[in-house]
Amino acid sequence: MISERAVVHGAAVLLLATVLFPALWMLQLSFRAGGDIFDLSLTFTPTFDNYRALWTGLFPGSFSNSIVVSLAATALSLLLGVPAAYALSRCRFRARRSIALWILATRMAPPVAFTIPFFLAYRFLGLIDSLAGLVVIYLTFNLALVVWMMRNFFDGVPRALEEAAWIDGCGVWSGFRLIALPLAAPGLGATGVLCFIMSWNDFFYALILTRTRAMTAPVAIVNFMQYEGWEWGKIAAGGTLVMLPVVVFSVVVRRYLVRGLTAGGVKE
Amino acid sequence: MGKEGEAKKMTLLERRLRRRQLLRAGAAAAGALLLPGRAPAQGGAKPLSGTTLNIACWSSPYAKLLTDYVPQFEEATGAKVNYETPSFPIYNQRIDVELSTGGSSYDVLNVTFIYIGRWIGAGWFVPLDPYLKDPQKTPADWEPGDFLPGATAAFKDPSGRLYAIPWTADIYMAGAARYDLFEKSGKTMPDTFDGVADAMKAVHMKDGIPAFLPENHYGWSFIPWLQGFGGNVFRDPPEDLTPVLDTPEAIAAADFFAKLLRDYGPDGVISYTYDQVVATLKAGRANYSPNGQIFLVQLGAKDSKVAGTCNFSMCPAGPKGRFPGVATHGWGIPAGSNNKDAAWQFITWAMSKPIIRQMVVERGYSSITRRSLIDSPEFKGKLTVNGHDIVKIYLDTIALGAQGYMKYRTIYVYPQVDKQIDIAIQNIASGQLSATAAMTQAQQDSLAELKRAGIKL
Amino acid sequence: MLAVQPSSIKRAAENRRPARTALPNWRREQRRAFTFGLLPALLVLVAITLGPTIYLIVTSLTPLDPVHPHSAADFSDPIGNYRALMADRRFLNSLEVQLKLSAATVVLQLAVGLGVALLLNAGSRFLEAVRTAFILPMVLPPIVVAVVWKVIFTPDVSPMHRALTAIGLPVHSLIANPDTALGAIAVADTWEWFPFTMLMVLASLQMIPAEPIDAARIDGAGRLALFRYILFPYIRPTLVVAGLFRLIDSIKAFPLIYVLTNGGPGTATEVTNYYAFVESFNFSYWGYGSAIATLMVAGVLLLSWFIGRLGVEAERDD
Repeated sequence: MISERAVVHGAAVLLLATVLFPALWMLQLSFRAGGDIFDLSLTFTPTFDNYRALWTGLFPGSFSNSIVVSLAATALSLLLGVPAAYALSRCRFRARRSIALWILATRMAPPVAFTIPFFLAYRFLGLIDSLAGLVVIYLTFNLALVVWMMRNFFDGVPRALEEAAWIDGCGVWSGFRLIALPLAAPGLGATGVLCFIMSWNDFFYALILTRTRAMTAPVAIVNFMQYEGWEWGKIAAGGTLVMLPVVVFSVVVRRYLVRGLTAGGVKE
Repeated sequence: MGKEGEAKKMTLLERRLRRRQLLRAGAAAAGALLLPGRAPAQGGAKPLSGTTLNIACWSSPYAKLLTDYVPQFEEATGAKVNYETPSFPIYNQRIDVELSTGGSSYDVLNVTFIYIGRWIGAGWFVPLDPYLKDPQKTPADWEPGDFLPGATAAFKDPSGRLYAIPWTADIYMAGAARYDLFEKSGKTMPDTFDGVADAMKAVHMKDGIPAFLPENHYGWSFIPWLQGFGGNVFRDPPEDLTPVLDTPEAIAAADFFAKLLRDYGPDGVISYTYDQVVATLKAGRANYSPNGQIFLVQLGAKDSKVAGTCNFSMCPAGPKGRFPGVATHGWGIPAGSNNKDAAWQFITWAMSKPIIRQMVVERGYSSITRRSLIDSPEFKGKLTVNGHDIVKIYLDTIALGAQGYMKYRTIYVYPQVDKQIDIAIQNIASGQLSATAAMTQAQQDSLAELKRAGIKL
Repeated sequence: MLAVQPSSIKRAAENRRPARTALPNWRREQRRAFTFGLLPALLVLVAITLGPTIYLIVTSLTPLDPVHPHSAADFSDPIGNYRALMADRRFLNSLEVQLKLSAATVVLQLAVGLGVALLLNAGSRFLEAVRTAFILPMVLPPIVVAVVWKVIFTPDVSPMHRALTAIGLPVHSLIANPDTALGAIAVADTWEWFPFTMLMVLASLQMIPAEPIDAARIDGAGRLALFRYILFPYIRPTLVVAGLFRLIDSIKAFPLIYVLTNGGPGTATEVTNYYAFVESFNFSYWGYGSAIATLMVAGVLLLSWFIGRLGVEAERDD
């Protein structure tokens, strides 16, 4: 058993190194000075110039904008979507499958399709260049994600537990809170992480619907793609920094991804 | 807009404190510019107080330089200026959506070269002639005629009305990063297409470096070759917009150009975008590039590995002549602006002789469009790279550009044909189609696109 | 009906209270509670997607081109755009490219995500830490991912190409070659999005109750049998949902194509979404672009309905 564990760990590390290689390579790019940016030599003198240059200008503001928008979009999507997912999972009604499919359909339109109508609507409502406007449009892809993912995870929690509770006098939503939700916690954690990432990474909507005040990080990074030459150092540094909050978020949510809360299911 | 204005005000104040001298000189200049009868009264209200101008341009060196001078304008006129300079792709995408939906968020905008046809052709900018002709609005010593005709030509519609004041003209020329390799093979900077083929053959893979590397926006980098062979994009723009991509001349040009790419370009040459080309040349990993001046002059930059071995020439000539492209960007006033007069004041100030001269003298800016300043002693030597004087190339090319072969650029459906040309050259260079097949397909698809745009041929 | 008698029912019977579920209002109460949970999400979705969808369909019936504002209300030839699309060689080519790319990326992402999830499922502290690192590709902004892979695919400066040449397997530029360009994009796309599937499958695996696994192990089931008879049936619905989402997202794939190939060489990687973008944003054919988008959505909807039916068979209905 010991050697098997070592093999698994070794395979994981090897796989990790291969998978992370492009990201690691970008990391080292961020420490290179301008002229040497594409030198393939492994030895070079690292410099913090790129990171220093990032903190003047629009990048810090865009960074915090991204955090705010992603957190808000995730919270809102979970708030609206998880109860809906639970209802779709537990309630037996005829239109269940169709409604689920229509919810999924809201996610299918490519950004190209929605950008112009949203732009026109937002201009009319004064929501251009606002964080709230972004949060709302991110619902168009996050809500469906939450509903479908959580419905799937709730389906994986046997009904019997809640039915027992219902018989015992427990309300539907108490049963949800006390039984289903804790048991589906790994799914909740994963879904939250995904929502955060999807909102964090959106580029196209942010590009068209914001200007300077509500600029988010992905758009700020594209700002370094200057006409006379891309500022590779800053792009790499920006890309590295942009990874960090999501990693932090995932670590915070990690508890919910762990088995342990699922111990003691129904005894058949 | 309030909070943003507050934030901007803080940094502007800081900048003002540092640039007080500049400010005084500039305020004087701006004051001189301000029109007769509109000079700021002693201690009285400034002409534009209470007006807010929203201005945007892509982050070119000129636009970024101008940021430092904007406080002078605000000081002299009392206007508040919201000035943004996003990067090129972001600017174009945003402004295109803004203009095409009839927005009025901006008062002064840059008219980007590749969108001239659409933005001007669709009437999204206002003609500037009424402002130019009005002595109340444009002082005589501002001299609109001082701008290079080759640069202003691009911003005129078929009836000759002007829609933008050019602040830069990027010319298509040729540069060699490793001219020492040319010399070793006994070649000089080629001046004809055949000369290019000959030179490429001689220097290809010398020192391990591929010889030929243009950028892969072929709707820009291939056209001088197309026209040099006697071909054209449209039969007779702007009257006759029939594409003529499948003429024998066009096919010959495509075949020739794609062959250069295939035989003398680096691996994956058709994937090299403009920024990659410049980075590759600067690192000395490719040699000859027919390209825009704004990129080629960077070969002489401090962080360029080829600063000591680069050389330059005019765009080579084909059997039917020399047709170097000229890419101009200019300031225009969008049709939806609510402050058009104030906008014009900004434009006259930003493109005034004193301001441009300040940029040349104080910041070494060299890509200018005012003839008087190009000829001035202060400008001498500014456009010299590795001992080669580029000013002559610049002026000769712009003079050629005024001849009218650039008219295809001002056709608003050119982007569609541009894409077809990109596709065709890629197809030929990657071996998917022969030159005849590719250009014929480009022709068919262009016809379909024009039909979709409602153009009657 | 429950097969077992939980203690609570025993208790209820002892107290001589009728079981709550026998109360006539129970069903109605339950229904109302569920509706209360479902409605907010539905209302919000309708509010933010109905308008744009109507706009999309209506514009697809016109030759809308903002350069000619009057074209906005030109309904003289409502299905003109659709008719033109059926005869549009470039559109049909884009469909073929899209199908190839979607098939490749969905299969690859499911396979790789599943494989990595199984590997990391062993429940050691070390693997849990490693798991966070594996989501890194998905966490990078897609634009940055595209830019990094652009450099990796440029032979002149690519560490990958350098390494391959060093071990004697020189490879020519993959994105400039029409035969390999789509494959190159599929690889980059899989690298970027396999963590999606991995995360979902891992969560699903973590939710499997311990008993069936322990029981099977005690019975002597090997790893493969364990996977085939216990793990896989349990995670299959998750795989279907993940696959569905990856399919929908693959239709929307944009940054990679925009940065790596621009739809090239020629039109070898011009997927339908990219074609719609070019027509709508570069050429301002909003009417035509809307028609393409409408067809795309209709196609994906149909496909999703079909796949959903497949997955439903395995649904854990009581």
